[in-house]
Amino acid sequence: MTDTWKEFEANEVTHSVAHHLVAIHEVGREYGGWARVSDIARWLGITRGSVSINLRNIKTRGLVIEDEHRQVKLSEEGLKIAQAIMAKKAAVKAFLRDVINVPEEQAEIDSCKVEHLISHSTGENLLRFITFLTSDNPAAREALSQFRKFEDR
Amino acid sequence: MKPIKHAEIVDELNRLMAEEMEAFLRYFQLRHRLRGTERLAADKFFETAMQETLEHAEAIAKHIRILGETPRINVNVEAGGGPLSLKDALNEALVFEQQALEAYRDMLPRVAGEPGLEDFIRKQIATETEHVQEITILLE
Repeated sequence: MTDTWKEFEANEVTHSVAHHLVAIHEVGREYGGWARVSDIARWLGITRGSVSINLRNIKTRGLVIEDEHRQVKLSEEGLKIAQAIMAKKAAVKAFLRDVINVPEEQAEIDSCKVEHLISHSTGENLLRFITFLTSDNPAAREALSQFRKFEDR
Repeated sequence: MKPIKHAEIVDELNRLMAEEMEAFLRYFQLRHRLRGTERLAADKFFETAMQETLEHAEAIAKHIRILGETPRINVNVEAGGGPLSLKDALNEALVFEQQALEAYRDMLPRVAGEPGLEDFIRKQIATETEHVQEITILLE
C-alpha cells in the first residue's frame, strides 16, 4: 500500500500527454483524425510553442504521426490510449454525476484529474458497477433510491 | 480567411504575446542547461534571443493597449531537464520559433487593412523568418 504512489510512474502517460492525445482525437474528428498544432493549442488553452515541444516527446514514443504540413494524427497505439482515457473519464464522470450527485461541472473537473491515473481494469469495473446501478434491476433501483433518501437526511 | 472582429484581434494578440513570453522563458531555461565551451559560445545568442522575445511581447502589448484593451497573460510553462547539448537546445528553439512564425503568418490575412497592425504583423513575420533561418543555419 505504501508503494502505491510509485504505480503512477508506471502509468502509460502523464497528465499532459493524456490531454494532448485526447485533444488530437477531438480536434481531428472532423478532419480524418488530422489536427493542426494551432487547433490543438486552442483546444488545450496553451501556446503553439508548448504544444510543439510536448509533441516532440509524444512523437518519439510513437503515439502520433506527423505529415509534411506538420499536422498530427494519433498512431494506432496513441488512439488506443486516447480511447481508453476517454472511456475511463466517462465512467468516472458518470459515477460522480449520476451516482453520488456531484454537479456536472465539478464531475468534469474531477474526472479529468483521474482519467489517466486509474487502471484499465478499475475503469472497466467502475463502468460495470454504474451500468448495474443505473439499470432497471429492482435491487439497483432500490439501492440508488435508498442512497438518495440517505443523502437527503 | 475572413477578417476578425475587435475582440478576436485582441484574443489573437494575447495569444501571440504568450508565445513570445513563453519563448523568453524557454530561451532562459535552455541557456542554463548548456555547459562548458558550448555555454560560452552560445551565451550571446541566447541573451539576444531573450531580449528580442521580450521586445516582441512588449510591442504586442502596446498594440493591445492601442486597441483600448489591457494585455492578458496566459502562460503555462514547465521546463525541466538536465544539461543539454547546444545542438539539442537549438533544435528545441527551432520548434517554438517556427510556431511563432506560423502564428504570425496565420494572423496576417485576418488583420488585412487594419491600420498599423497589418504592418506590424508583416514586420514580425520578416523578423521571425530571420530567426528561423538563423537557427537552421546554425544547425547545418
